Amino acid sequence: MRILIVEDDPLLSRQLADTLSRAGDAVDCAGDGEEGHFLGDTEPYDAVVLDLGLPRMDGITVLKRWRAAGRTVPVLILTARGSWPEKVQGIDAGADDYLAKPFQTEELLARLRALIRRAHGHATTELACAGVMLDTRSGKVTVHGAPVDLSAHEYRVLRYLMHRKGQVVARTELIEHIYAQDFDRDSNTIEVFVARLRRKLGVNVIKTIRGLGYRLEEPG
Amino acid sequence: MIAVNSLRLRLLVGAAIWIVLALAVAGTLLAALFRGHVERRLEAELATQLEQIAAALERPGAGSLILTHQPSDPRLRKPYSGFYWQVDGAEGPIFRSRSLWDVALRLPTETSPDGKVHRHRITGPEGQQLIALDRTVTLADAPGAYRVVAATDETELTAAAAAFTRTLAISLGVLAVALVAAVAIQVQVGLKPLHRLRAGVAAIREGRIKRLEGSFPTETQPLVEDLNALLQRNEEVVARGRTQAGNLAHGLKTPLSILANEVDRLAADGASQLSAAMRGQIATMRQQIDYHLARTRAAAAFDVPGARVPVAPSVAAIHRTLARLYVDRELQFAIEIPADHVFRGEQQDLEEMLGNLMENACKWARGRIAATSRHDDGLLTITIEDDGPGLAHEQQGHALVPGARFDDNVPGTGLGLAIVRDLATLYNGSIKLGSSTLGGLRAELILPAG
Repeated sequence: MRILIVEDDPLLSRQLADTLSRAGDAVDCAGDGEEGHFLGDTEPYDAVVLDLGLPRMDGITVLKRWRAAGRTVPVLILTARGSWPEKVQGIDAGADDYLAKPFQTEELLARLRALIRRAHGHATTELACAGVMLDTRSGKVTVHGAPVDLSAHEYRVLRYLMHRKGQVVARTELIEHIYAQDFDRDSNTIEVFVARLRRKLGVNVIKTIRGLGYRLEEPG
Repeated sequence: MIAVNSLRLRLLVGAAIWIVLALAVAGTLLAALFRGHVERRLEAELATQLEQIAAALERPGAGSLILTHQPSDPRLRKPYSGFYWQVDGAEGPIFRSRSLWDVALRLPTETSPDGKVHRHRITGPEGQQLIALDRTVTLADAPGAYRVVAATDETELTAAAAAFTRTLAISLGVLAVALVAAVAIQVQVGLKPLHRLRAGVAAIREGRIKRLEGSFPTETQPLVEDLNALLQRNEEVVARGRTQAGNLAHGLKTPLSILANEVDRLAADGASQLSAAMRGQIATMRQQIDYHLARTRAAAAFDVPGARVPVAPSVAAIHRTLARLYVDRELQFAIEIPADHVFRGEQQDLEEMLGNLMENACKWARGRIAATSRHDDGLLTITIEDDGPGLAHEQQGHALVPGARFDDNVPGTGLGLAIVRDLATLYNGSIKLGSSTLGGLRAELILPAG
């Protein structure tokens, strides 16, 4: 999943980015409100972690502008301002979740996963398709109960496809959601990842739709 | 009852003293003027009589003195009537008015027989006090001089003056009472804006209004404006304090987050004993910050007078927020808060209390949460209930202690109920925990109604 972190403290921003990267996400960071707003407005993120006290443009304004422009990306507000009137203000501005600093990393991860799941219409942390099970919380993948070892990029591709089960996913869309912005993108690598995935899973769930992209579906 | 040190009493007493003094002086002057006027009229009458008698004196052919005619006034014939005349020669009285009967008027010796009219006070018959005018008359064809006297009783004059003075005194007395009453009304009307001002200040203290509104007389308007400015400044100071507290919290919370993340990394690297100790300290710091921040905010807020906030919109806002935060739980909210239920205090504090209580209910509820309110005797009772596991009786008291937690699997700081209790106490309110008919916890928040 591709996640945007808008946080003005560089140290905290880097820590969050590290944590999320280790959990298998592509992360972009913005250090001020304007940059954050621009990125969220132009890049297709799966979730945003938004601080409220930001230089140049405060978090509430950023959020309101996204919502006014029709951006439905799930937003988790992460702020030191934890009073109830501030929570109400944040939710009313269009936030999907609100976490007060200081926070526990596991809680932030759990809530982000829940937001993404909800956005894709899934109620549980486990995604399943023809014996392939992917737990978004633990990051573990099994086929008929047997664990499968995937690289970070392979995991990202599979997770995205499983979230979009039954839908055609274009190569460019996959690239946008598994790579961070400043990453050197090469659409050929996607084909390599898909090929490896097919081999490792051993079940034919990823269909190539010629000229359009890929679709995850039950075989047969 | 009017207090001794009151503006009204001062104004009334001051005005009364002046009115009484002024009217007394005016009355004395008027009485003196009246008496003087009557006396002059009387003397003029006596002078006329004197001239008539002097003109009637004749001594034809050097014989004895005769009076050619007597004054016609009937009062001069009635004995001791108080109106007299007399003509004295060198050896005593020659002619007397009939009213003198057998008494002769005794005049002081003439010191300057210059033919001018002189005025005397003498004692007449029956001890009457007389005003007498006399004049020395010399006849052209005869030697010697005669004194002609006309006199009248002073009693009548005194009686008339006394009657006038009495009427005057009564009139002036009535006037004084009327004036004092008018002053009293004027003072009442004049001080009315002050009463309005006092009522306004009382309303601000009781939290019914935020500013003195409406126009006041030019004398009190500066006071009203100063008071409003003071209230404004007070609010600004509180707002600034709040902002600074928020900044302090913000400043501490981000480093604390970073520290917590570093500790997590430390734990992952195997320094589990150190990281556990640090985690504990970080949690304590977090609690301290949250708890004292909420307290500071509330303590500052309580000093701002005039705040009133309806409960229903705040409950709706918290409900809206919780419905989004707990969207996975599919909780059923039953909210019944009448629109006219008003809390006397700050909206942020109300929302902080409601938010903590309702979020607590959301965390523990199986599926149903109820919020209701009751208003009686100036107190507002907001009840939040859930159908969760609830708390045993002995746990209910413990739940209000800062940091108390009953299940470490449910996220939270354990501060919520303690913050609610502290806030409620600041507003002279309270919180009561009990068992709900829904099956879970029932929290009753008792607050001053607006």
